[in-house]
Amino acid sequence: MSEIILEAVDLEYSYPDGTKALSNVNLKVQKGEKLAILGSNGAGKSTLFMQFNGIYRPNSGSIKYQGQDISYKNRALIELRKQVGVVFQDPDSQLFSSSVYQDISFGPLNLGLSEEEVRERVKQALIDTETTDLEDKPTHLLSYGQKKRVSIAGVLAMEPEVIIFDEPTAGLDPRHAQEFMQLLEDFSLEGKTIILSTHDVDLAYSWSDRLAIMSSGEIIAHGEPRELFLRPELIERADLALPWLLEMYCGLVEKGWLPPSTPLPKTRDDLLRSIPTKTDTTG
Amino acid sequence: MIDIDSYAYSNNLKTVHPAEKSLFALISMVACLTATTVITPLIVLALMAGGIVLKAGIPARIFVRLMIVPLSFLLIGVLTIAFSVSTNPSGFWLAQTMYGVTIGIHYPDLITAVHLFLRSLGAVSCLYFLALTTPMTELITVLNKLRVPVIITELMVLIYRFIFVFMETATTIRRAQLSRSGYISMKRSFHSLSLLFSALLGKVFVKSQELYDSMAARCYSGEIKVLTKKHPVSPGNYLIIIGLEIPLILLNLLWR
Repeated sequence: MSEIILEAVDLEYSYPDGTKALSNVNLKVQKGEKLAILGSNGAGKSTLFMQFNGIYRPNSGSIKYQGQDISYKNRALIELRKQVGVVFQDPDSQLFSSSVYQDISFGPLNLGLSEEEVRERVKQALIDTETTDLEDKPTHLLSYGQKKRVSIAGVLAMEPEVIIFDEPTAGLDPRHAQEFMQLLEDFSLEGKTIILSTHDVDLAYSWSDRLAIMSSGEIIAHGEPRELFLRPELIERADLALPWLLEMYCGLVEKGWLPPSTPLPKTRDDLLRSIPTKTDTTG
Repeated sequence: MIDIDSYAYSNNLKTVHPAEKSLFALISMVACLTATTVITPLIVLALMAGGIVLKAGIPARIFVRLMIVPLSFLLIGVLTIAFSVSTNPSGFWLAQTMYGVTIGIHYPDLITAVHLFLRSLGAVSCLYFLALTTPMTELITVLNKLRVPVIITELMVLIYRFIFVFMETATTIRRAQLSRSGYISMKRSFHSLSLLFSALLGKVFVKSQELYDSMAARCYSGEIKVLTKKHPVSPGNYLIIIGLEIPLILLNLLWR
């Protein structure tokens, strides 16, 4: 039914020094979905993302964009990167200019847009990431969270179809992490496909439509978050933990506070709603 | 240096077009350096002090502190010009003779020294005006407009950005070393410093690869193209610049 926008087929990749980074990776990304890739440090998430926009080239296997194998010719790569944007984990390695405005204008200018169009996009990206008040500040005087938002704006301004976020909430305080998730929700409503990597199980569980779990360069499972998290052997193998929502839910069911027929909660509100109000039976 | 940089982004003249500020600073500097009288440098000094303290709103304390920095170099340079050592005691304006050697000042030398001193100080104040009121990124844009080769301006953009990234990294490493008593003795200090540098060197390579990858991810194809926020061009400012600079130039030309 749904269209596959991005696909990894039998990917194998080793770093030049011989370290095996990805083996036999198969992953389909549906258009407009929210896909979370969950895995511990060094599981190969970032390496996989670098394959998706052609920065790294697989040793064997291929990446398909809209059903076509991607080409590694310069022209084709630029076309691909226009559609598949990547926000890197460390904003300091993404922001190359000390001027916020300059940095955001870099991507759209590379797309060959006119100056007015670029200025319009920069303005919109500043508004979307709530960084308008930072445009006159130099990047080195920004806080980590501010830099992160500016680096997101730099990719947004290119208006890609698929946006990939590498550990987007790592290093953000709870308030900004929550605001960031709201921003993702907005993109999703606009029909963008979003892929993010994280080792925050709570976030991955509540946010994603679909989940892929990576462990030492392999995708060991993918599917519905609710299904995957009910397989403890999987969670343990990937060095992850259960989301607190599920732990709470299981505890409540076990102690008889919730009937076992209660559907698995997806969000905190779901869980709170399913807990019945206490009626005073003793008095 | 970091102080100067932060003032560049927060002073009251930051919205003024960078080309106007550069023009003002450069013409004043040329007028100051080519001056034949001590009056021009004094006027330039006063202009710049006024611009920095009154117009840009930078605390006078900071300005004075910055002006003291070149003072020590200048004084040494100027003193060697003013003083002469000779076996011939005639012609000195002020002198002391000991064992047949005269150390003293010739009057024309003194004048040259004072001229040089004031001219240098005036020129430095022009540079400070530019540095304190105009962010580096905007200066680079001006250079771009002046058709300075792209390779130079691109390097300036990257170097300027990475000065701060590496300073931050170095500060973090140093703090980690300090908290483990890395600088407890002279010997340990040298050792720790060498470790800091080698760690930093390793990071340079990693960072540069990451930077390249992230730029490639945004369709980088060999040329860093960026837009800068537009600054309003103010004809009024140009009038002020002309109004201030023409008398200075005339003063230089007519005062013989």
